[in-house]
Amino acid sequence: MKILLIEDNSELAENVVRYLDHEGILCETANSLFIAEDKLLSYSYDCVLLDLMLPDGDGLSLLELIKSRKSSPNVLIISAKGALDDKIKGLDQGADDYLPKPFHLSELLARLKAIYRRSKLDGSDEIQIKEISINLTTSEAFVNGNYLDLTKKEFDLLIFLMTNKNRVLGKEAIAQHLWGDYTDNLANFDFVYQHMKNLRKKICGAGGKDYLKTVYGLGYKFDENTI
Amino acid sequence: MKLINIITFVYLILTLAGLLIGGFFIYLKIDSEIEFEMGRELDRQVDSVADQIRSGNPYQSLVNGRLEIEIIPFDRLEEELYLRDTLAFHEPNDKKVKQLKASKSFKIDGEHYRISYFNLLVETDDITETVVFTMVVVFLLQLAFIVLFLRGISNRIFRPFQYSLSKIQDFNFSQNEPFIFEKSKIKEFDQLNDFLMRMSKKLLKDYRQIKEFSENISHEIQTPASVVRGKLEHLMNEEITEEQAHLIHSAYQNNERIQRIVKSLSLLAKLENNEFETPSKVNLSEILLKNIEMAEELISVSNLSLEKDVENNVFAIIHPFIAEILIQNLIGNAVKHNQKGGWVKIQLTSKFLKIENSGTPLKKNPEELLQRFQKESDKPESIGLGLSIVNQICKSYGLLFMYSSKGEIHTAKILLS
Repeated sequence: MKILLIEDNSELAENVVRYLDHEGILCETANSLFIAEDKLLSYSYDCVLLDLMLPDGDGLSLLELIKSRKSSPNVLIISAKGALDDKIKGLDQGADDYLPKPFHLSELLARLKAIYRRSKLDGSDEIQIKEISINLTTSEAFVNGNYLDLTKKEFDLLIFLMTNKNRVLGKEAIAQHLWGDYTDNLANFDFVYQHMKNLRKKICGAGGKDYLKTVYGLGYKFDENTI
Repeated sequence: MKLINIITFVYLILTLAGLLIGGFFIYLKIDSEIEFEMGRELDRQVDSVADQIRSGNPYQSLVNGRLEIEIIPFDRLEEELYLRDTLAFHEPNDKKVKQLKASKSFKIDGEHYRISYFNLLVETDDITETVVFTMVVVFLLQLAFIVLFLRGISNRIFRPFQYSLSKIQDFNFSQNEPFIFEKSKIKEFDQLNDFLMRMSKKLLKDYRQIKEFSENISHEIQTPASVVRGKLEHLMNEEITEEQAHLIHSAYQNNERIQRIVKSLSLLAKLENNEFETPSKVNLSEILLKNIEMAEELISVSNLSLEKDVENNVFAIIHPFIAEILIQNLIGNAVKHNQKGGWVKIQLTSKFLKIENSGTPLKKNPEELLQRFQKESDKPESIGLGLSIVNQICKSYGLLFMYSSKGEIHTAKILLS
């Protein structure tokens, strides 16, 4: 997967590049509309991460150009503007998703992969790591082919963990992913632990290995290399 | 009370007092003047009677109802004019009335006559009546004058003041228009208007600056906080010891806290600036039920019991996004400040939305908790902006928000109509 990140803050851009690089995603950056335009015309990308507030203009103006390209890449808007307006305007003009800043890198990756799966791999929408497989079209999970009976939240959690495999996910990031803004009011993340415990129990119960690791007090990770 | 009414009232009271005091003196003056004039007249009468006696008229023929002549011993000294009030019979009235009697004695042709002349005295009642009548007429004239002229004139004089007053009442930050007043001809009003113009300009400038500041700060802090979050997320994935993990976690949590504060403050600023589009009629029941569904899980994980009583199709005029924030904050607050094994009760009727929860009795005045950064608990996760946001939302949309606590029950209630 090849991505263009249009973001003027170099530190933020570096964070994203580094995180995606770890997942084997090639990420180029542009820190202004001008450079972005240039790159979009010269190369083709699978997805564009578009910041709206750029030094030389509003990122929304790029949408038209992006959509006019032959193999039009997906667009994920990342913006600190956060206003509801921008969200609707962006989605109206053909953006695929909207992620308000500040975002968790794990969340960005999850959204990116979801968009990618939706558009490029239509139909064969599956995630497979070792003996665990997930069919996203039917929303079913299997361990060694055995159906895993998960609640909606547990299912979402498993996808989130597997998408960000081998990465430590902060409890805050997990809570944000599952409950959205609701977690703003709740800084007690015991419920993340509850869900994690249940999910682990179900996977192990179905004969899977204990992939879900607790990382000190920080968070959790799906450890592919569990023996 | 209106200024012009106070002025009228005070003026009338003063006039009345003036008329009373003046009336009293006028009464005294009239009374003494009448007596003095009458005394002089009687003196002349007595003198003319004495002249008649001198010219040889027999004194008996001169006596009538008003004239008394007596002979007194010759060796007495001649008496000077002597005036006194007396009661005497008055034929036309057929009764005794108060009269003024003037007497004087003369020695004429070897006889000593004392001549006394009476005259009816004007009764004090009559004087009082006259004075009071006059004063009432004067007072009524004053009243008419005040109503017709003074009020009319005062209204004209006060017009610039009234105008300034109505401008102040209409002052609105969102219109961003400082006061502009014409010069009136009155120095004090011009000073006032001058001050108002300067103040409104300053206020609007400060307001704009604060507004810009809160708009900018949200973006300016969010970016570095975002960078920090990313770096910490990378750090989490390095080979770290448990101790380092704790440090990272602590830094991470505090950074999240900064982001929550900034987010809440920028929301508050937007609400205060009325930056959200015109509200629409939204189905509050639907939004509430959707949010309860989300919250149910959090409530049960927190070991709390939930009781809900939601009437269907309750509508409110509010931006749907804001309605959601409002409900999230209220439910979040009820869950966060609960106690072990506690409960949350959510009730929605067409009249009000009520969210009650159990919790430790408040140490602070519930009203204070609506202020920014005022919090009851010492929980570090709580930033103390939740209820301020609710309060600001209600203010912006003209709803009445009440937060009260009775022992272990805390109640947040929003009146919808």
